[in-house]
Amino acid sequence: MSSLPDATSTADHAPPSPQRALRRLFLALFLRGSSSRGLTLKRAPQSVASKLALTLTLYLLVGAVAFGFQRQPVFMLSAYLHAMTFVLLGMFVAASAGEVLFNNQEADILLHRPVTPQMLLWAKIRVLVEVSLWLAGAFNLVGFYVGLKAPNGSLLFLPAHALSILLEALFCTSAVVVVYQLCLRYCGREKLDGLMTTAQIVVTIGAVLGGQFLPRFIFDPRGNPVGEDSLSRWIFALPPAWFAGLDDLLTTGFSPRSGLLAAMALASTGLFAYLAFDRLARDYGRGIQTIAETVSRGRRDPGRRWLDRLIDRPPLAWMLRNPVTRASFLLAAAYLARDRDVKLRVYPGVAPFLAMPLIFLFPQQGQDHASGFLISLSGAYLGMTPMFSVSILQFSQQWQAADVFRAAPISGPAAICAGARQAVFWLLALPLVLVIVLVVALTGKAADLPLLLPGILLLPVYLMVPHLGGRAVPLSVPGDQANSAGRGLHMIAAMLCAIIVTSLATAADYAGYLWPLLGVELLVVATAYFWMRSRLAAMPWRKSE
Amino acid sequence: MIALDGLTKRFGQQTAVDALSFSVPAGQIVGFLGPNGAGKTTTLKMLTGMIEPTAGTATICGHDLRTDTLAVKRAVGFVPESGAVFESLTGLEYLDMVAALYGIPRAAARQRIEQFLAFFDLGFDTLSEKLLGAYSKGMRRKVVITAALLHNPSVVFFDEPLDGLDANAAVGFKTLIQTLAREGKTIVYSSHILDVVERVCHRVVIIDRGKLLVDGAPDDLVAQHNSGTLERLFTQLTGGTELERRAEDFAKTFRP
Repeated sequence: MSSLPDATSTADHAPPSPQRALRRLFLALFLRGSSSRGLTLKRAPQSVASKLALTLTLYLLVGAVAFGFQRQPVFMLSAYLHAMTFVLLGMFVAASAGEVLFNNQEADILLHRPVTPQMLLWAKIRVLVEVSLWLAGAFNLVGFYVGLKAPNGSLLFLPAHALSILLEALFCTSAVVVVYQLCLRYCGREKLDGLMTTAQIVVTIGAVLGGQFLPRFIFDPRGNPVGEDSLSRWIFALPPAWFAGLDDLLTTGFSPRSGLLAAMALASTGLFAYLAFDRLARDYGRGIQTIAETVSRGRRDPGRRWLDRLIDRPPLAWMLRNPVTRASFLLAAAYLARDRDVKLRVYPGVAPFLAMPLIFLFPQQGQDHASGFLISLSGAYLGMTPMFSVSILQFSQQWQAADVFRAAPISGPAAICAGARQAVFWLLALPLVLVIVLVVALTGKAADLPLLLPGILLLPVYLMVPHLGGRAVPLSVPGDQANSAGRGLHMIAAMLCAIIVTSLATAADYAGYLWPLLGVELLVVATAYFWMRSRLAAMPWRKSE
Repeated sequence: MIALDGLTKRFGQQTAVDALSFSVPAGQIVGFLGPNGAGKTTTLKMLTGMIEPTAGTATICGHDLRTDTLAVKRAVGFVPESGAVFESLTGLEYLDMVAALYGIPRAAARQRIEQFLAFFDLGFDTLSEKLLGAYSKGMRRKVVITAALLHNPSVVFFDEPLDGLDANAAVGFKTLIQTLAREGKTIVYSSHILDVVERVCHRVVIIDRGKLLVDGAPDDLVAQHNSGTLERLFTQLTGGTELERRAEDFAKTFRP
């Protein structure tokens, strides 16, 4: 081999920009996933392009709800558009930021290269903002048209709304980055993982609450927009309203309300951007170094001791008599409690379903308390958290380790899946049910508690659904396959099911037949559950790829 | 070329590297040895600017690790033990990206990549079409080694570089690093395969629990401790006594 030329002597072409290389890298990683089992380059971009096109089309279709806002003033339309954009962007950034900003593997690949942590941070943030804008653009496309036709709308709405969306994307991204950087600054290596996961869940729930509460202030219980004069002062506390104020100000001219809201939008975005990209950016370098450091824990995790005691006592001791199920329970529980990758995927993924039942229980504009329908809907939504937790728990960076299940003398995945299901039920579903029951009781609606039962009864079936066909074996699928459109279809089906059950329960309650309905439902659910369980028990291992 | 002065790393109460001091001149291959958890990888990560030392300092090619980290990073190449790569890039995309980070123009980078392809007996089509996630462990290791040498560094740190390489590639690699050293490059070679270290390295540094145990030419150290081989010297120094007897006792527990 001939000797290598010195790097500084190769000036035959312009040297490339490291910043540009990093941006391209992180965009490619974001679109393709950070790991891949795809065999060729040709296969990867096709799947990425179709996945992205599907996502953007879905956002476009969901955004078509804006047609329902024709003949509404600009502020009301913008409030709705920004509320939904805030939820979508907030959830997207919160779910992606952990993986994009703090990737364990990345340290070994990039930290010894001549790039500064600030360069890495900028490249990643730019990718997050770019993708956020694609999503926001798709969702708001119909909104742009409707805004033009609004009674007080004009062509000015187009640049105004484009600017406010850009600022909202910057606001969401920088707010998430600030939360992470504060975690890095104020906690040590040992607490970092746990705190970052908590921060991500809080941000996701915050995005859902921030976006979902605003429509509750601008619609009356019958779903009609309230008059602008009747708007609650609480809207000043909700970020989407700030950006709607900016649209209103730039499109229809100054009013005290729109001026104040627009000022809040500009000030908050400026403040978060300054904190994220300047003031706290130096902590990012320390953060990714900290993630790269390997340190062994000196003592055993107290959570594990608590878990050991729990599974040795009834009722878990009875339910986990099968040693394979017991081992799978411990594995799933350990990953739900300790593994950063799994935690960052599971909890932010189910955070919207954790938040929605609470939002339903919050009284709407002009009401003292939540209606029976919404209480019942809260119960029906309870099942979504465990269902999606079981589904998401199948993804892991250590998916190859799951070969141990197939290597063991077990004929199929039933016992392994049962352990994961039990872990999700006892660690996530049951506490959530208790919280919702407590909230309903404390808000003076204890008499309506039975309305939660139709949803709660569905829990065992919801937990089984991901396992149909022998799927969702815990920790057995590469993490990069987690963003599948299949979950979206499951979500739509589960929401339809929730609405049907809620409608039936409310109607039965109104007619005085709630308890007979519960009896019938119990029978149906038990039949469905045992049928699914017997099918799963007879299921062999799916063919491995 | 490399000089460590009291280099220390603590993680909370735990001291991973404890006031390590030694130096390596240009053109030398140093075997950096120690049992699991001795602090080898932490030391290498500090010397490549990946993690900050808690105390002490080091200079590489005259650049201070603490104050001139970017210059240090430009001067060094590193093959980490993990062999981590971005699996959803093709090999060529990955190497192009690495070249761009060092400011190597695309044409020059391609020329170098082709030289490495010829050396490692890899096809350009494979490199440009196949995603790294689909590479075998050995092929991936070859890409990681190529990425470490692409910018022609003066100092190269290898952490278990032979892991995954087949016998032919391993022979070629050993010749490569000996030739690189003759060309004036400084090589720090961390491995558990002690017979390779004994054959390839001019000098060995053995650490345990973060502390320097011995530093010298393999033959001299073996003679000094009257151990016969580097492997026996290593077990003597790092407390691996009676290993054979313990292994036999354990194997007997498998009797039917």
